[in-house]
Amino acid sequence: MTRRTALIAAVVGIALLGVGSVAWAHHAFAAEFDVNKPVKFEGKLVKWDMVNPHSWFHMDIKGERWMIEGGSPNQLIRQGVTKNTIKIGTTLIVEGYLAKDGTMKAVGRNFILADGSRLFLGGSAPGQQLK
Amino acid sequence: MRFRISAGALVVVAMMWLTAKTTADQQTGGASAAKPAATTTAKPAAAAPAKPGAKPYRAPRTPDGQPDLGGFWSNATYTPLERAQNINKEYYTEEEFKKVVADARNRDEEQTTPGTTADVHYDFTQFGLDKSQHTIAQNLRTSQIVDPPDGRLPPQVPAAAARAQAAAAERKQQGGQYDKVQNMPTGSRCIIMGGAGPPLRDAGYNSTYHIVQGQGAVMVLTEMIHDARIIPLDNRPAPAAGLKQWVGMSRGRWEGDTLVVETTNFNGRNPIGGGRGGAPSSDQAKVTERFTRISDDQIEYKFTVEDPQTWTRPWTAVNYLQKTNGPIFEFACHESNIGVSGILGGARADEKRAAEAKSGSK
Repeated sequence: MTRRTALIAAVVGIALLGVGSVAWAHHAFAAEFDVNKPVKFEGKLVKWDMVNPHSWFHMDIKGERWMIEGGSPNQLIRQGVTKNTIKIGTTLIVEGYLAKDGTMKAVGRNFILADGSRLFLGGSAPGQQLK
Repeated sequence: MRFRISAGALVVVAMMWLTAKTTADQQTGGASAAKPAATTTAKPAAAAPAKPGAKPYRAPRTPDGQPDLGGFWSNATYTPLERAQNINKEYYTEEEFKKVVADARNRDEEQTTPGTTADVHYDFTQFGLDKSQHTIAQNLRTSQIVDPPDGRLPPQVPAAAARAQAAAAERKQQGGQYDKVQNMPTGSRCIIMGGAGPPLRDAGYNSTYHIVQGQGAVMVLTEMIHDARIIPLDNRPAPAAGLKQWVGMSRGRWEGDTLVVETTNFNGRNPIGGGRGGAPSSDQAKVTERFTRISDDQIEYKFTVEDPQTWTRPWTAVNYLQKTNGPIFEFACHESNIGVSGILGGARADEKRAAEAKSGSK
């Protein structure tokens, strides 16, 4: 994984200007989750709520039940993804940020499978074959 | 995105611009391993300058003889509403458009910086929400706005600024954005997304519409968040002026093969133009939409906004609806809008920490 080490100066500059890929959102994630509390989890998928405005991954992490917020499922459903696409019990590594309110929730900035490959539910995202 | 752009990804980009229909039909069999889904079935450039002498397309008909606009359509686009300041022509060349798409795609791939607020988000591409995974009509226009000819919104009238100031003062009186749910943006509250229309504006993702035609009415369902707009075609009288709706009230008619829809009676809280400081349009706005099916796979979507309380003159824009697959998964936004309580809870936690820090420093 090139985790957090492959930033190039130009990309950093653009990100700081706030025009990166996360410029558009249904709601303010930075208000819900704490930028000062990055987290990296590994656990097993218990349930995936394919709901709007954002889907939720329920995970068993060291015996605790956590909820990880992801994206709207609508486009995935159009692409043939179902709630069975990721099998229950699949090990997921989640990089993200903890909820500000102290509940067992986090935003999943990055979902990674046990073999180190990135989870691409739609299957056609750029960078998919890059590891 | 957390990964660098590779030459391989750029090749995919180059292929993508050739496709009017991209990846929405692709079916994935696994959680991670499907191949990039760009295809090379290039389609005619919907928005290139018209070729003289070209035979006009005749749309298929519904059983009662209307031009058939029914089905699922996407208005996702790389074409901005307003022309960029450094562009002074109506159309890109195909080479230039290729670069526009590549640049946009690269932005979608950009890594955010860990520890910045921009990084506190899920990755669009992991959920298929970036535009490269949407159905998009190839469109060489440099702006959706075609009038004024400079491709930009006309200047605003003083009343617009006054209205924006009054709205800001009212918001301030109500307290902070996260003091109570009523202060949060309408999109976050699952009431309506800005641009849900009319006019139909590219939502950024989930930009799909379902058009259903019946005798005497047309229904346009907006995927995000949920609006179903019923457009009567029976020449009924205009609605009473006092009736105000988020999406206004529409009346439709056929002019040849073009469905013309006029909408008034907006509540003035659903911004039409966006940009320009975000000043919303007023409740006096009138939107005229013109839907014309120009091929089996595309509808030309042209709209004019008249709002003398906001802009000094009417403005007109063109976008394209590209046929896509359905059905649309019901958005059902409110039922699972956990984010609202999470945001309010986060604000209370912030306040508590701030109060504790203050008392601790005494």
